Amino acid sequence: MTASALLVGLIIVPLAGAVLTPVVGGRDGARACGWATLVMVVTSGIAAALVVHVAQVGPFSAYLGGWEPPYGIELRFDEFSASVAIICLLGLLAVVFSLRYAAHELPPVRIGTYYTLLLLNLTGMLGFVVTGDVFNLFVFMEILSLSGYALVAISGERTAEMAAFKYLVMGAVSSLLVLFAIGLLYALTGSLNMADISARLSGAAEAPAMLALALLTTGLMVKAALFPLHVWLPDAHAIAPSPVSALLSGLVVKTGLLGLIRVYQIYYGAKVLDLSALNTVLVWLGAISIVMGAFFAIFQEDIKMMLAYSTISNIGYIVMGLGLASQYGMIGATVHIFNHALIKATLFLGAGAIIYRTGYRNLTDLRGVGRSMPFTTAAISVGAISIVGMPPTAGFLCKWYIALGAVQAGHPVFGVALVFGALFIFVYYIRMVNSFYFQQPVHPEILEVKEAPLSMLVPILILAALCLVMGLLGRIPLSFIEPAVTRLLGTVGG
Amino acid sequence: MIAMLWQNIDYVGSVVLFCIGLYCVITKNNLIKKFIGLNIMETSVFAFIIALGVVDGGEAPIMGAGASAPFTNPIPQALILTGIVVAVSTTALALSLIIRIYEHCGTIEADELREME
Amino acid sequence: MKRALTIAMLVLLAMPLLYAMSQLPPHGSATSPAYTHISPRYLERGPEEAGAENVVTDVILNYRGFDTNGEVTVIFTSLAAVLAVLLAGRKGDERPVREPAAEPSPPSVVVRFVVRLLGPFVTMFAVYVIINGHVSPGGGFQGGTVFGALVILITVVLGRSVAEKLQPLGVRRILQAAAPLTFVAVGVLGLALFGDYLAFPRDEALAWVRTSWLMVIEIGIGVGGAAIISAIFWQMGGDR
Repeated sequence: MTASALLVGLIIVPLAGAVLTPVVGGRDGARACGWATLVMVVTSGIAAALVVHVAQVGPFSAYLGGWEPPYGIELRFDEFSASVAIICLLGLLAVVFSLRYAAHELPPVRIGTYYTLLLLNLTGMLGFVVTGDVFNLFVFMEILSLSGYALVAISGERTAEMAAFKYLVMGAVSSLLVLFAIGLLYALTGSLNMADISARLSGAAEAPAMLALALLTTGLMVKAALFPLHVWLPDAHAIAPSPVSALLSGLVVKTGLLGLIRVYQIYYGAKVLDLSALNTVLVWLGAISIVMGAFFAIFQEDIKMMLAYSTISNIGYIVMGLGLASQYGMIGATVHIFNHALIKATLFLGAGAIIYRTGYRNLTDLRGVGRSMPFTTAAISVGAISIVGMPPTAGFLCKWYIALGAVQAGHPVFGVALVFGALFIFVYYIRMVNSFYFQQPVHPEILEVKEAPLSMLVPILILAALCLVMGLLGRIPLSFIEPAVTRLLGTVGG
Repeated sequence: MIAMLWQNIDYVGSVVLFCIGLYCVITKNNLIKKFIGLNIMETSVFAFIIALGVVDGGEAPIMGAGASAPFTNPIPQALILTGIVVAVSTTALALSLIIRIYEHCGTIEADELREME
Repeated sequence: MKRALTIAMLVLLAMPLLYAMSQLPPHGSATSPAYTHISPRYLERGPEEAGAENVVTDVILNYRGFDTNGEVTVIFTSLAAVLAVLLAGRKGDERPVREPAAEPSPPSVVVRFVVRLLGPFVTMFAVYVIINGHVSPGGGFQGGTVFGALVILITVVLGRSVAEKLQPLGVRRILQAAAPLTFVAVGVLGLALFGDYLAFPRDEALAWVRTSWLMVIEIGIGVGGAAIISAIFWQMGGDR
């Protein structure tokens, strides 16, 4: 198997798996889950092989239909695309977790469709991060957005449907902004291939190029839920089924950021515009996001609502790191995309397991659950420590790098915003851990509930263990992504 | 600039349409009207991209006997065929959500829905 | 007040948009980058290289076939999404069955007769649009939509039970997945035979294979599109 065939397989295997799920699974949830697990195991194997390959030989491409770019569509796998590894891992764990969760929480007739949509969502994300063609990027963005809207609404609750509709309207507008920008780029360059656009954009008129940049950034930042474009996120992420929340919060919002990295690749290479104005805006919005997300999270009673707001503040960290446009900042931000996915999936799946067993979502109601579900709450505590950014967990190194990046870029004041945000985050996670372990239960029966079933516990524990391992081996992803960041920033000489 | 705008009047048209659509999305209270606004925005973007492919005096890019150059650019047409399908899919999902919201709440006016929450 | 504010905001938004539009290459010019970079090759060599006289079909199915592969996946996603939203929920959450005020009067004999009469012709037109897509405007999506519209018409006039006979329950799930599956099958065949996903035979002597290959995809798209459109319609009408 050549690398390019594997690269195509990475998209085609989950795609074929998704469209065959209704045929294989019918309305039998367990069989659909088994099928989806099988598909994700194969896909994860492909992803692992690709990541190893890119570490050995550097970026490589697949030409679809055998047409060389710019005439055909190119799939491009570089170090940033290595995020397929985390997409596959979380996808696999979310599918396994869903076996018991979906049977319990979802209307039975919808369970088969649920797995179909889950696989389609993962297909969309995988395609989004490996494609090297702007219009193809749009197509995959639509696959992942459409399946995302439906997954939010799948529980059939009234609030879920309203949250999904809000998400859909904002998501559709942002997709249109991106499509508009693709049209502008096509008008200026006559091309849709990213590398080719970048090469041909240098002689183009400035105003349309700038407009395209603005539209792309706005559109992608709606998907990423950067403040003040975040209004759709808290409801959608809190109300969705927990495995879906883990995917949406851990991965789907990150595709907006990975898209932003692609936009940077196009524009840094083209040298048509000075990006420092955009970067300043992004750094400021990132800083505001950190503080506002954390601030709102403090006042949340609902555990999943709190986690959803914490996503906004972590998106702020990443956007700030990208906007600093310094070596350390960008490395830290890219690795935080990866680490935050791990951490947030641990927390959401953990919260899902607790809700599954107890039926409560509010922190007050959940007091004392630490005594009856020791493993799950221990995993959540590990996630909480990681997200605050305490050493030696996964969250520490990348936040440290982003802070270093702020100093390197000559804006130490943003390092202060970062520490300030971490303090806020510390407060509300302490509150959560405190109510799990140290407060008198409001509902005595909560001491009687059983530990989560194995199909839920194993994914949670794997993720929690990875949070610790990634903290100890934090250097590996940092040095893995370094050549790509150097290449990107090297084009501007910064 | 006015002369340039006049030359690109087709693009100006799609900008105007885009703004009208956005206006509906923001101000309309009825969910279906909001979504019609979104469809207007979609149409404006499609019209813009299709207009990019036009060439003066161009014919449909179908070769064969009797066809003579210049031909219009086939790429935008191909892209927008994809775009239309995407728009239809989004519309189908949005209407389904509206049906369900109506069944649950008995209304699809945004302000009344907000009061219910 | 809110309206005035929105209008003011939109006017402000329109200014940079219009300025950027004025800086674009002039509309209709044959020297614009869009017309001189990639499309000349498609226009000059499309019919020989890619297998269809309609260059738009060449772009959709061959040069940028992967986009269309994604696009049929989007339609499939929309079907799955509609099912996820509309399939009856848990107990006590069933969709209310609205009792019609009066039994709806069945469409008149004339309407029923005309629909029965039209059916075969509409079907023939759909097939024509699908298989003629490579030499004239048309193709799988358009033909599939025409056939889907016929199914909807039959549902409305003759009742759902008649319409459902067109898609037997046993194969309906396969039919709905037909378009992405055709793409995957053709793509993997290309990968196996010519080394690239969705690759078509390039050899000069194999022009007829190329064209029939395109036709297979068109038919797959048409069947899948029609199945999905009718399924979405039935679902919205209520699976009651």
